[in-house]
Amino acid sequence: MNPVLQLADVTRVHGTGAGEVHALRGISFAAHAGELVAVMGPSGSGKSTLLTIAGGLDQPTAGAVRVEGTDLVGLGQQERARMRRTSIGYVFQGFNLIPALTAAENVALPRELDGVPVRTAREEALRALEEVGIADLAERFPDDMSGGQQQRVAIARAVVGERRLILADEPTGALDTETGEGILELLRARCDAGAAGVLVTHEARHAAWADRVVFLRDGVVVDETGTDRVEGLTERADA
Amino acid sequence: MSVKHALLALLEQQPMYGYQLRAEFERRTGTAWPLNVGQVYTTLTRLERDGLAVADGEDDEGHVVYRITDGGRDEVATWFTTPVARTQPPRDELAIKLALAVTVPGVDVGTVIQQQRSATMASLQDYTRLKRRAAEAADRAERADLAWSLVLDSLVFGAEAEIRWLDHCEARLRRAAVEQGREGARPVEDVPVPRPARGSR
Amino acid sequence: MRGPTPSGARLAGWRIALRLARREALRRRAQTALMLVLVCLPVLAVAAAAVVWRTADVSGAEGVERRMGTAAALVYGSGTTEVLQSFDPDGATSWVGEEEHVATVTEVRQVLGADRPLLPIAREYLSYVTDRGVGDVVVTQTDLAAPLARGLFRLEGGRLPRTTGEVVVNPALARRGPGLGDTLTALRRTSDGETRTELRIVGIVESATTRDEAVAGVLPGAVGTPDAPPQWLVGGDPVSWDDVRALNAVGLLAASRQVLSDPPPASALPPEVVSDEPVDETAMTALVLVATMVLLEVVLLAGPAFAVRARAQARTLALVAAAGGTPAQARRTVLASGVVVGLLGGALGTVLGIGVGALLVPVAQRLQGTWFGPFEVPWTVLLGVAGFGLAAAVLAAVVPAYSASRNDVVAVLAGRRGEGRTSRRSPVLGLVLIGAGVVSGLVGSRASGASPALVGASALLSVVGMILLVATSVTAVGRAARRFPLALRFAARDAARHRTRTVPAVAAVGATVAGVVALGIALSSQQAADERDYDPQLAHGYAATPVGGDADPETVRGVLAQRVPGAEIDEIAGVRGAGEGTWTDLSLELDGEPLVLPTFGSLGSSFLVGTSVPAAVGLAPAEQAAAEEALAAGRLVVLGRSADLPGGRLRAVVQVTDDATQEVLDERFRDVDVTSVRSPVALPAAAGIVPPTLADELGLTTATTALVVAPTISEAAQEDLAEALATVAGAGELYVERGFVPDSAVRILQWVLAVLGGVMMLGGTLTATFLALSDARPDLATMAAVGARPRTRRRVAAAYALVVGLVGALLGAPIGFVPGLAVSRPLSRDGDGATLLAVPWPLVAVVVVGLPLLTAAAVGLCARGRLPLVARID
Repeated sequence: MNPVLQLADVTRVHGTGAGEVHALRGISFAAHAGELVAVMGPSGSGKSTLLTIAGGLDQPTAGAVRVEGTDLVGLGQQERARMRRTSIGYVFQGFNLIPALTAAENVALPRELDGVPVRTAREEALRALEEVGIADLAERFPDDMSGGQQQRVAIARAVVGERRLILADEPTGALDTETGEGILELLRARCDAGAAGVLVTHEARHAAWADRVVFLRDGVVVDETGTDRVEGLTERADA
Repeated sequence: MSVKHALLALLEQQPMYGYQLRAEFERRTGTAWPLNVGQVYTTLTRLERDGLAVADGEDDEGHVVYRITDGGRDEVATWFTTPVARTQPPRDELAIKLALAVTVPGVDVGTVIQQQRSATMASLQDYTRLKRRAAEAADRAERADLAWSLVLDSLVFGAEAEIRWLDHCEARLRRAAVEQGREGARPVEDVPVPRPARGSR
Repeated sequence: MRGPTPSGARLAGWRIALRLARREALRRRAQTALMLVLVCLPVLAVAAAAVVWRTADVSGAEGVERRMGTAAALVYGSGTTEVLQSFDPDGATSWVGEEEHVATVTEVRQVLGADRPLLPIAREYLSYVTDRGVGDVVVTQTDLAAPLARGLFRLEGGRLPRTTGEVVVNPALARRGPGLGDTLTALRRTSDGETRTELRIVGIVESATTRDEAVAGVLPGAVGTPDAPPQWLVGGDPVSWDDVRALNAVGLLAASRQVLSDPPPASALPPEVVSDEPVDETAMTALVLVATMVLLEVVLLAGPAFAVRARAQARTLALVAAAGGTPAQARRTVLASGVVVGLLGGALGTVLGIGVGALLVPVAQRLQGTWFGPFEVPWTVLLGVAGFGLAAAVLAAVVPAYSASRNDVVAVLAGRRGEGRTSRRSPVLGLVLIGAGVVSGLVGSRASGASPALVGASALLSVVGMILLVATSVTAVGRAARRFPLALRFAARDAARHRTRTVPAVAAVGATVAGVVALGIALSSQQAADERDYDPQLAHGYAATPVGGDADPETVRGVLAQRVPGAEIDEIAGVRGAGEGTWTDLSLELDGEPLVLPTFGSLGSSFLVGTSVPAAVGLAPAEQAAAEEALAAGRLVVLGRSADLPGGRLRAVVQVTDDATQEVLDERFRDVDVTSVRSPVALPAAAGIVPPTLADELGLTTATTALVVAPTISEAAQEDLAEALATVAGAGELYVERGFVPDSAVRILQWVLAVLGGVMMLGGTLTATFLALSDARPDLATMAAVGARPRTRRRVAAAYALVVGLVGALLGAPIGFVPGLAVSRPLSRDGDGATLLAVPWPLVAVVVVGLPLLTAAAVGLCARGRLPLVARID
């Protein structure tokens, strides 16, 4: 079974010459359908770079990044943008909702950007909001919502349009423990429903929600737990 | 310590016989602290000796049912209101292991830490999975489930603290290695730039 | 330890605020550059204009050299025996003497001393033969090589004349006629006839005073006796004001170098020539209005930048407030930005303005007929202009400063980016002000007691009122954005959320549009009134040249036929007024009262003679038929527009007067039958037509009084034709009826208005849009992260420009009607008090719909198509 996300020998170097910084040094990494992978590591270990590269927001210096079989490295900006609209969903620590748009409009954004008629996009958005349990807040503006509610909107936005890869960058960072767990539950549920998820965090408690935890340090994977999960999944998928 | 008080607390709710007590204890605290029946009966004997509980006859199937005394009630109340004293470092074995690993030559401390962390992480994942299952069952919303969930939380936070402590140890060892490296000596293995461990499939 | 005094503390507060402002200015270079440009540009433009204007303006002292070469004074006869003059005789003079008198050199010497060098100089208009006919030339007769005359002409080629048979000319003359080495034929035309003088051109000179007029210089006596008061260039010691007064006493006028360069106090002037120039109220009002509007516009344009900066500082200010800072301190920090930018922008704009002015002087010179003076920098004016820049920047910072000091500290620290609700009172106040503007405009433009000040107030009131409406309108648009496409919805909502940034930009666009619409209405209405008041002299498309008694119509016809091949040339017969030294006049009387029959007389005579009305008069077919019927019946036909033209039997009076003595030589009366015919225009080409039989009976001389040419002659052909006709004695000036030709200046002005409006609108829209885009960076990054195409940024930019431009234009256009209406009423009021309102709808459409769309398209094309891809860090 092919992984939804696969990074092969990815290196990312910022700057040149003396100011050269290796954010990632030949990382290989995969996330399969139905799997939530947590990436842990201290600040500067390359977690966020890994995520931006997986999302096609950044390009690796070397290596391949395949999302659902398509190598992002070979794609132009337009194509990568299309991938983000149709295959990849992003959740940020700061929620990153657009304050000028209502919750429903924020969720509908990727669909609208993809050219879906406004009405259809809105219906999809309302369904996604229902899934994250805040359908009643559809017409609110982000400024009038709590952090947890905003993050739920962000998750709805990341999954709308049946996207199969969810990239979450410290999605619980700005939230209290209990609210944060609610968000992780949503992510977990989404992965159990067949999506692949990558969760970047520096908190072990949150990483524990993942099927597999990858430890990053100085741009290298130094440790990994729960690797047997993949076989189990494969068996299940074969069965 | 706590087994005595835990059983007393259970008896306070209703009279129970030994096997029943063990089941109830495990239902509330999960499999976190397994309790064998022998331990339960030894403890009950001691409670009877100290006048905190009394054997109150047998039930229909011939089990000896124990009942809490007034002295026992006082004891439970005191127990609940007294904070648990942190007289002993709880993870003494691991701490001692690491302390020795650092001082005994030829031991790869980095590997010790990494292995420990993987193991702890695995437990943490297990606890989390249990928690999710508990949460799924939470529809029944029993107080006992809440109790179980709180116990799990305690374990989660404990494991998390251990991982953080391990991270901290690793960071300090690396810093120490860098500092000693500058002085020319390298008694600890080459932690500064770790090689890739295992790639994923 | 000494505690800080209150004023010391305030000073220290300003010092900190200024330091913060300076740092902020350096930290946000692009934004600072934008602010500087906005303050700098108007300062630069005005400063450059001031430099060019001051340089072009040749003041008395500067013009001295041009007028009198190296002489101490230029003295000339006034034509009488005693005069009074102001310091510059070109300014004001007043005759005291009553007889005519021609000044003599002896009088000059008597006053100024016998031993002074004197150089007689004469300037007069003569004609000369051009390539196509005859043109005018200013001829100076003097010893051009004399030291006193140095500076009057600058030799460009060849040499100065040495004999009276030689002449120097300027390039303007050479362009239309003979050049260096050719022969110049100078014509002196007097009542006695024409004297021709042939002169050889030996040099090309530039006159010190004019570039585009034909100028020639000859030695005295080369072209006969000048027909102008004698003039002398006086050398020697400076001529004092007392000398000038002494010269005046004997009827001489003097322009003295000393008096002009260093005028005595005004009290030395004779009271008769002191003119107390009243301050023109209209001009002052216009100046104040323009200055206020420009200031307002600059403030509005620079406002958004300050608003954005204030918001960028909001967190700092909130932290200051949380740490115990007062609102005044917060305000000061933002205001200090205005001070820093204003000082810098004012200084920079002034310096650059001087540079641009220096570059523009040669360009402006090429467009001007006169020579500019030496390069001049009007420092006092520039200081004022720089101060204006400072004022604009500080005013632009005021509103953001106040709103920054009132910011909700908690909201800011919580990172909420929006702004509070709009005030409920300001739109009401805005409507009240607009109402006041309408009333003030109506009152100020009444027929009785029109007041420019009230009209100006109407403009200001309505624009300020509009500004107060902007916030509400922007919010309303944001609310209505639900159904808009994504980019437009985002832009409208974002605009509504960030009103301190949006409102001034929208207001700037609105004020611009209002100004353009108002001026456009004023221009169009004035032009419509001009068209209404236009009286054609002939029927449309006809041209006529009157011919006098001394002219041979056949020669004129020959010239016309030659120059306008294929033209239809008709001779018009009319009553010949002038005979041998006499003047014959035909008039009509009704009940003994002479009848006034207004006419242009464009066909050479008030009364034509014939059996039909020439087509060039342009009667309607019915009237034409009626007139011809009457003429056939031997009746005299009078033309006129008013309904109560007399008809029936009137008395015709023929009067013959002597030209010289004004003595009535002969007077004949006769009752005639008169038919009045309605003319379509107020001033017909002729007052009436006399049937030939009646003309004979009245003893009138009939002759060809004009030649009429059809069809229309082109403008270029007309110019050549005029020069050719000038060679024919007795041929009058050629008039071509082209109907009402709108002043090309109006059309140019409308274009200038549209372009200027476009530039200002672009300015307002661009600042708001790019500030919004830089503000929206995080939002754009988010959009990129969820898969927006790079062109989304372009779309958002264009949508932003559209929202700002369209809302501003839609608000501004109706507002422009208020002062536009008020200004158009006095401009278009005719004698009967009727006014016109002409709305230049194409201009309005271009400004309201075209420009916003164009701006949006331009912004969309120019905006960077790259989205910020890095995830934002809050």
